[in-house]
Amino acid sequence: MPKFVKIPLLAIATLAGLFVVTFTVYFLNLDMKLLSKIEPFFLKHYDKMPRKNYV
Amino acid sequence: MTIHNDRARPGDQNLGVLFNEGKVRRRREWRGVKDTLYDYGRWLYILSILARFIVKPRNIKAMFRYRWMANYLAVPHMVDKFTMGLRDEPLRIVHTAMDFVVYDVAQTMENIFRGDRRTGNDEKFSAKCVLTDENAMTAFMMGFPTLKAILREVPTMFVANLLNQYSTTHYLDVAQQAGIPGDVCPMPEAEAGISIEDDFAVLGACAVQVNTTCDGSLMGNGIIAKRLEREYGIPTFQLVAPMRHREADVQDYAAQDIKNAIAFIEEHTGAKWDWDAYFECAKRVNDITRNRLAWLEMNSTNYPQFVGAPFSLYNDTNYMGNCGRSPKFPPIDRKIMKYAQHGYEAKRMMAPEYRHRAIIWGVQPQYVIDMLNWMIHCWGIVPLTDMLSMVNTREIAEVDTPENREQAYYDMAWLNENMIMRNRTHGGYKVLVDELWQFCEQMNADMVIMWEHMSCKALDGMHGQFEEQAREKGIHLVWVCHDLCDPRVYTRQAIRDQLNTYMRTVMREEPLDPTIEVLPDEKAW
Repeated sequence: MPKFVKIPLLAIATLAGLFVVTFTVYFLNLDMKLLSKIEPFFLKHYDKMPRKNYV
Repeated sequence: MTIHNDRARPGDQNLGVLFNEGKVRRRREWRGVKDTLYDYGRWLYILSILARFIVKPRNIKAMFRYRWMANYLAVPHMVDKFTMGLRDEPLRIVHTAMDFVVYDVAQTMENIFRGDRRTGNDEKFSAKCVLTDENAMTAFMMGFPTLKAILREVPTMFVANLLNQYSTTHYLDVAQQAGIPGDVCPMPEAEAGISIEDDFAVLGACAVQVNTTCDGSLMGNGIIAKRLEREYGIPTFQLVAPMRHREADVQDYAAQDIKNAIAFIEEHTGAKWDWDAYFECAKRVNDITRNRLAWLEMNSTNYPQFVGAPFSLYNDTNYMGNCGRSPKFPPIDRKIMKYAQHGYEAKRMMAPEYRHRAIIWGVQPQYVIDMLNWMIHCWGIVPLTDMLSMVNTREIAEVDTPENREQAYYDMAWLNENMIMRNRTHGGYKVLVDELWQFCEQMNADMVIMWEHMSCKALDGMHGQFEEQAREKGIHLVWVCHDLCDPRVYTRQAIRDQLNTYMRTVMREEPLDPTIEVLPDEKAW
């Protein structure tokens, strides 16, 4: 296949692949599902931090 | 008078399918090809804002230092709450407004962590920052273009609670362990808890606090100011707006206090008041006022376009936090106006039918602020406007003349007195009760949803007057009790159930979408 056909085809295929992946993440709410699993680790970390409570 | 939507809603018809008992939704909404792709594009844009924010080392450091930062994991989830069920122009209006609010808050956080002594520690930048009370109109900063007004409570507490309903509970516990009673308004109490736990970023040459909200806010400010001044050496000015703000005889005092605040800022930052910058901002303030009035006029018709929490939150950000200082807001205003006009001409509706036209009064529950959108889809009740959006309607002096320079102090004082919420909760029964009925008439409302914030002393005293007068005027008054930002007292469903009960028992109506009458979102962000 000549280069001037191959490069645009590759670009289109890459963009289409990116679209399919990101759209799946978007529609199935996978981004929020993942981040909601991360939150408890942060909360544990904050609980362990030394604090300088002061009124 | 019921208005039917002739246009079928593409995509998901029953919105209950999106919910399960988890922290986040089961999936995102199918809105038909065109609107789903639009929403997907905006999701990518939101992710790009978050990615640009988190790649900076100082912001990563902040993520590990400040507990409230964990709430920002939920930004896309918050936007989804505001756009639920929307299509066409209303979807685009909400995205335009709320995506810009997300951008603006991200910018505020960038500035905070750049100057913060624990993360960015850019001392030169910090010396150009003025910590400004979350509850303040930033009018007194309009003539300081070289300084940054930093509203550090906004991302720390106010926005955090929009993102995650449980964002304040840890700080409320901290405050109560320090002896503050549990019946104080949880907003200033949580802010006091953040200060007690030393979880506010520390920056700025000086700070300005205001009395513009309530006694609870004064309590919280006292604790915060003590730490700022004694531990961090940040001098704090108390800007005191008169309570009876509609009276002519208090305006001289109010204007003088603005002059004192400006002199204080000049003294501690070395910056000089710039009249050219002030009048430039004043023009934008007037533009904001005209746009808000135009949207309200549109909402008085059968086809409201820009409504609910996004209307309120966008106005809060633009009117109070920005107050004409940023040139980035007017293009957003124009974009929203274009969508709103187009939507109005095309008679776009957000639900299959509109059964009731409601004015939302009182102080909203922060942790279920998307309830207004739910109300449209579940019961066909359109929130025409809310108390926090009914602020200044007067245009201020915008041409630089010797007379207008003196008038400007009065204008800034007037804006400060008319900060969101306090212009209704302070100033006597006329501004809180009488004007509500005027708005009902102007906007053809048949219903008032009365938020009853159980810890708010300012509103609770008027309960009887509201009841009596609503009955006389034949307006359906629905009391909805809540605890502002503490979901442990009234859960989200307990709040929705008050409206559900009224609609079923008093109005004898069935929901438009029964799948969302009860939502399993007690554990949700």
